[in-house]
Amino acid sequence: MADTFEIEEGADAPEHDTGDDHHVVHESTGIDNRKLGMWVFLSSEFMFFGAFISNYLLYGNRDFDSVVPRDIYDIPFTSISSFVLLMSSLTMVLAHHALSTGDQNGTKTWLMATALLGSVFLGGQVFEFYEFITVKDMTLTSNPAASAFYMLTGFHGAHVAIGILMLLSLFGITRRQGGLSEKHGMNLELVGLYWHFVDIIWIVIFTIVYLLGAA
Amino acid sequence: MSETAHAAHPSTRDYVRIAIFLAVLTAIEVALFYVDEAFDMNGWDGPLLIGLSTIKFVAVVGWFMHLRFEDSFLSRFFGAGFVLAMILYGIVLAAFGAFAIFG
Repeated sequence: MADTFEIEEGADAPEHDTGDDHHVVHESTGIDNRKLGMWVFLSSEFMFFGAFISNYLLYGNRDFDSVVPRDIYDIPFTSISSFVLLMSSLTMVLAHHALSTGDQNGTKTWLMATALLGSVFLGGQVFEFYEFITVKDMTLTSNPAASAFYMLTGFHGAHVAIGILMLLSLFGITRRQGGLSEKHGMNLELVGLYWHFVDIIWIVIFTIVYLLGAA
Repeated sequence: MSETAHAAHPSTRDYVRIAIFLAVLTAIEVALFYVDEAFDMNGWDGPLLIGLSTIKFVAVVGWFMHLRFEDSFLSRFFGAGFVLAMILYGIVLAAFGAFAIFG
């Protein structure tokens, strides 16, 4: 990625030219520090989500007196939600691709499509939680299995919500400035990395929590 | 990023093909779930579902996140975080005997 940046590889010390006309980044690693930072952050997120997934694996298949998540999953509904989030990864990568080819209108369109698909996924999760709490009577404190389920999927949903906010911010910038500059081009790449990461975490959750959990 | 990384980037058509591939894998996953419901697969659904989700995971990281086109330094960083988490939580789960979910 980073099509919009010139990088001088092999530089001994970091050096930044932050002029508005031409943004040149020189890093000792040959990789933009912001991008490296995002990859390190995403790498650390494996530990974060790993803890919640492990917690669910420990408690999700145990029996309790009250209703447990595996008894009330709506697999068709969650499958459609998964498909929607998967397609949002496509629109996200198309937004970046459009920017790399100089297609500002395409960038705006795909950014908004990604935010919309993310919102649909999030709306589905809110609906699922509402159904579980009000109709199925499974709350956060019903039992450890329910707590593990709500914590895992809730924190994933929070990540999706943050991603939508970042996407809408980028969309707002494109609207206000008539397009994304080189500086904001890197921002789009970073938001894209974050968004795809949220998607791969859901790929794991969908399989382990829903499909294997309900089997 | 290296010069060679830029040259091999997929086209829009490639991205759509990858998305269709991912959608098909998701459909197969859901189908496997119902096949296991109807005809007990004797625990084979677990490895199959994990295998399919692993393929989806690698496809998104490799193509959509462009990691296969990036400097190997990033792959090592990202892979290290994943492997460390797998080892740590694998030990935790093994200690608590949680692997019964797969069988």
